[in-house]
Amino acid sequence: MNYQFDFHFLTGNFGALWEGLKVTLQLALVSNVVGLILGFGLCLLTLNRWFFIRWPAQLFIEFFRCTPALLQIVWFFYCLPMLFNVFIDPITMGVLALGLNLTAFNAEAYRAGVQAVPREHLDACVALGLRPWQRTLYVILPQALRTALPVLMTNGISILQQSALVAIVAVADLMYVGKSIATEAYRPLETYSLIALIYFALSLPIAQLVQWLERRQDTALAR
Amino acid sequence: MQLDFMVVFSYWQVLAKGLALTLAFTVSCAVLGSVCGFLLSLLRLSKSPLIRIPTGLYVELFRGTPLLIQLFWIFFCLPVVFGISVPPYVSVVLALTLYMTAITSETFRGALKSIPSEQHDACTALGVASWNKVFYVIFPQALLRAVPPLLSNVVSLFKESALISSVGIADLMFVGQNISNSTARPVEFLSAVAVIYFLVAFPLTRLVGVIETRMLRRYAY
Amino acid sequence: MTAPLLVAAQPQASFVPDSAGGDFIQLRDVYKSYGEGLVVMDHLNLDMRADDRLVIIGPSGSGKSSLLRVMMGLESIQGGTISFQGKSYIDGNARNHGKPLDVRLQTQVGMVFQHYTLFPHLSVLSNLILAPMKVHGLSKVQATEKARLFLARLGLESKLNAYPSQLSGGQKQRVAIARALMLEPKLMLFDEVTSALDPEMVTEVQNVMMQLAEEKMAMIIVTHDMHFARNIASRVVFCANGKVVEQGPPAQIFTQPKEPRTREFLEKVLHLD
Repeated sequence: MNYQFDFHFLTGNFGALWEGLKVTLQLALVSNVVGLILGFGLCLLTLNRWFFIRWPAQLFIEFFRCTPALLQIVWFFYCLPMLFNVFIDPITMGVLALGLNLTAFNAEAYRAGVQAVPREHLDACVALGLRPWQRTLYVILPQALRTALPVLMTNGISILQQSALVAIVAVADLMYVGKSIATEAYRPLETYSLIALIYFALSLPIAQLVQWLERRQDTALAR
Repeated sequence: MQLDFMVVFSYWQVLAKGLALTLAFTVSCAVLGSVCGFLLSLLRLSKSPLIRIPTGLYVELFRGTPLLIQLFWIFFCLPVVFGISVPPYVSVVLALTLYMTAITSETFRGALKSIPSEQHDACTALGVASWNKVFYVIFPQALLRAVPPLLSNVVSLFKESALISSVGIADLMFVGQNISNSTARPVEFLSAVAVIYFLVAFPLTRLVGVIETRMLRRYAY
Repeated sequence: MTAPLLVAAQPQASFVPDSAGGDFIQLRDVYKSYGEGLVVMDHLNLDMRADDRLVIIGPSGSGKSSLLRVMMGLESIQGGTISFQGKSYIDGNARNHGKPLDVRLQTQVGMVFQHYTLFPHLSVLSNLILAPMKVHGLSKVQATEKARLFLARLGLESKLNAYPSQLSGGQKQRVAIARALMLEPKLMLFDEVTSALDPEMVTEVQNVMMQLAEEKMAMIIVTHDMHFARNIASRVVFCANGKVVEQGPPAQIFTQPKEPRTREFLEKVLHLD
């Protein structure tokens, strides 16, 4: 291995990389907000007593969980405008695709959390005269959120990584910018390594936080 | 706009070829990655930091970066670094296997750690020690517990394998995009491809549930 | 159930007149703590004869389970010595940090746990024959024969090929006892073995233990069931704060305890019954 590393060409491209990083962060953050909120709603739908509500919600989840994220993104970018004859700007479209994908995964995480709420708590809510929505908001959601938090955060990190897929449909995120620089400067090694490190640096702290949370939950359970 | 889903069927042979390639990549990388992942999980239990830290870093690095970058890195950078030409198929298998190895080692590690300490106590009480304990009591239970998450990993790998289309491998995703471009019918073809992926992945995810309720409840708890 | 449970020859009983004496097991000055605040064995002394059935009672956190876990080699001691059958068994100052010195002696101790600890991936038969085959070098045929014998005596013949998940709690615990007996131990340790059981299953497990008692098996039992303690014990040992506060025949301890702490404890638990 006698490859000469050369990072000089990057100096002229810092601005572009920064712009790309901003797009990536925007995609990841907004998708997470969408996924965290809609995910809980969707989870409640899958637990509904009426099958005609439960069933479509479950189908939505399964479809997003059982097809490639890349395909979902490509589908949204090519097919949505054709089907509905609308133009949506690429970033919004990216958020829509990634957000709905995350919604499906988060709904599953929330559901495990909701089902872990002891039956007695629901009985206690009836005994205390709480209305159903109060029960959901004050008793079920906080407990489900606590149980589901590590998984929700892990899902959040993976949507950051999946957001790199929008580069394939030419949204100018970090991955896309990196790809263009790599091609223009003929320096794939330096560029891709740098991009990989940026994604890694963004994910690592959250991943560590998840591990810490899980350890804490484990010790809490052991008591 | 007129949708005509019947047109999909006239391309079934091409789509089937794409699916076959996707499955071939998934299966081979799943097998390779599971074996490597198992070995890696054992290394990660090592007491020596010289082994534990690099292996841990490998897992974190592959779990903490997009697979797309890993793929591009191996595809574009490996030849540069080593000054040799790597056939596309080899780079793709390498990338998917490394990814599978990383997530699978975590699966096995979690399974090994999930064996309750009472099982270790029982082994001590019966005098079943060291390799006997590991081979007859700990590994079998860990492997049983690892089956459902391992299957989920295979489903992930199956879905993620769609990325190889971006480096020009003619898998199901690639074929689907190609036909939808050439026929200008993305809605029909992309939806059809989505349904094909779904039809493969969905039963596998159901299988995970069945194994958890039937097999594990009987043999692992 | 009239057939004897034990196939093994019994250890020679050494009759020492003093109820507290005995050289089958001797704990001398045993010290064990989990960090500063929690001393579970505080220079503890205890003797046991080969036909003794010690029942250890006391408030939670008084080191009852720790004593059993130390005897089994699951946990270490930080000071003192323990001898077993006249041989040095555990030495708190030895290089191996207070774990059993002699593996052969260790295999002569059997233990049954609160949470069954059957191996879930193995059938009842495989649970029983694993250790005899892998540790004692019995052939599969020999081990299986022996397992059948034990299961038959415990009335579990029909469960030979069942998996632990298919058994009731009482059945699981009886299998766990059979599994420990397969190794022909000289001493059996029972750590709250009926605490996790539904009330209606407690008796079937206690009956098996009573039967072992009739066959003069040496046992150390930790239990919260005072009624059972009274029935099975040859001697009751009351522990508190890592020390033996009082010991004696069950009739004496339960009706005329000398120490106020013993009386206080018994008043509390007996009222709860």
